[in-house]
Amino acid sequence: MIIMQTRNTHSACLLFALACFISLFFAVSPSFAVSDVPPPTNPLMVLSADKQFQYAQDLFSAKDYSTASGEYKRFVYFFPKDRRVEFAMYQIGMSHFLGGHYQEAVSAFKKLAEQYFDTEYSIKSYYRISEAYIQMKDFEQALIDLNNLVTISHNQDVKDEAFYRMGWIYIETASWDEARRYFNKISARNRRKFELEKLSAALEKETAIPHKNPKLAGFLSIVPGAGYLYCGRYQDALIAFLLNGGLIYAAYESFDKGQSALGGVISFVEFGFYSGNIYGAISSAHKYNRKNTGQFIQHLKENIKINLSADMRNQGVTLSLQWSF
Amino acid sequence: MNKLFYFILFLIVLAAFGTNAFAGKGVKSDHLKAANGDKAKKGDTLLFPIKIYQDYISSADGDRCPSYPTCSQYCSEAIKKHGAFLGWIMCSDRLIRDGRDETRLSDPVWINGKKRTYDPVSNNDFWWQ
Repeated sequence: MIIMQTRNTHSACLLFALACFISLFFAVSPSFAVSDVPPPTNPLMVLSADKQFQYAQDLFSAKDYSTASGEYKRFVYFFPKDRRVEFAMYQIGMSHFLGGHYQEAVSAFKKLAEQYFDTEYSIKSYYRISEAYIQMKDFEQALIDLNNLVTISHNQDVKDEAFYRMGWIYIETASWDEARRYFNKISARNRRKFELEKLSAALEKETAIPHKNPKLAGFLSIVPGAGYLYCGRYQDALIAFLLNGGLIYAAYESFDKGQSALGGVISFVEFGFYSGNIYGAISSAHKYNRKNTGQFIQHLKENIKINLSADMRNQGVTLSLQWSF
Repeated sequence: MNKLFYFILFLIVLAAFGTNAFAGKGVKSDHLKAANGDKAKKGDTLLFPIKIYQDYISSADGDRCPSYPTCSQYCSEAIKKHGAFLGWIMCSDRLIRDGRDETRLSDPVWINGKKRTYDPVSNNDFWWQ
């Protein structure tokens, strides 16, 4: 009887313990806990190469170049073995270029050119580097870059385009003979493509650009105003003549009347105006030449230059011709 | 003879200052950034009267200089960039040219709704810089 009672007590204890365990399990376990907050359905975002690349492309097309360059970088970082990495690297450079950050563009294009050799985009990178340097008015670096391309490339078409671009850089700096020298390096088969005959004929007209000799302008300014007159600045010439003539006369009269202090002050002022008259005449001649040369170059660029630039907004390369009627 | 002397002096002053040559409190242009610090110290003595002119005379006289930067600002920048000697010469050259042929030959620029002639220091020292 005692044994039976003991067994019943044991069973009750076991049942009680089991009930406690189950209720404790439901209460403590977070997976079974009752909550108002829904469990996260998709905590991980899968980034595919296509999506990442398309996102960068969309930003580039929307002209959001600063963000686009970052997304292209992300693409290159996460998918380094993708076949579009080279193009993405090129687009990083283009994003900087079109965003006006030319130094960053040069760095990006150089990185591509170092990593890839003699590929379509590595060659285009050399062109872009030179264009970026031209934008920064660093013509020497632009020439060095194109010269490097000529050295490393075995493709005659690439070399010819580099020569053509170098010739135009020399035109930009009004170095006519150097420009002719580089245009003459272009192979016979590409001479028609670059319209060299027409270009040479146009370049011959550079001798007809109106020109003023700065040294002569400075020399003529010994007579106040004559230098300005030579440069076609008639009003300035008259004022320079009257001002200097008057001050010289005033200084002379002052010294003549024994007013040395006044004469000294007038002479000091006159020294500035007389020197300024010479300086201004030389400067005016240089400005005259710069203006006329600039107009001639602009005329050449608008009417003769073949637009070789790759289509900046898209991937393709276009070759367009311009001519005046 | 004395009358003639003072008349000529009057004409000179009229020619130099009557053509708005010095008119206009300096509109700060960004060319100051390119100014050479060492040379600025050299020209500090000459800059003082320009500063006095800009602060006390031009502010009362009015902003009438037809060029940008204004002549006083141009002089200040020329002295800072090239020192007192060349700065003074460039300043004198500018005073001769201001408001005459330069308006016909240089590009216009709109400053505060007013059409002015763009003639910075860099436009006159590019050939030897």
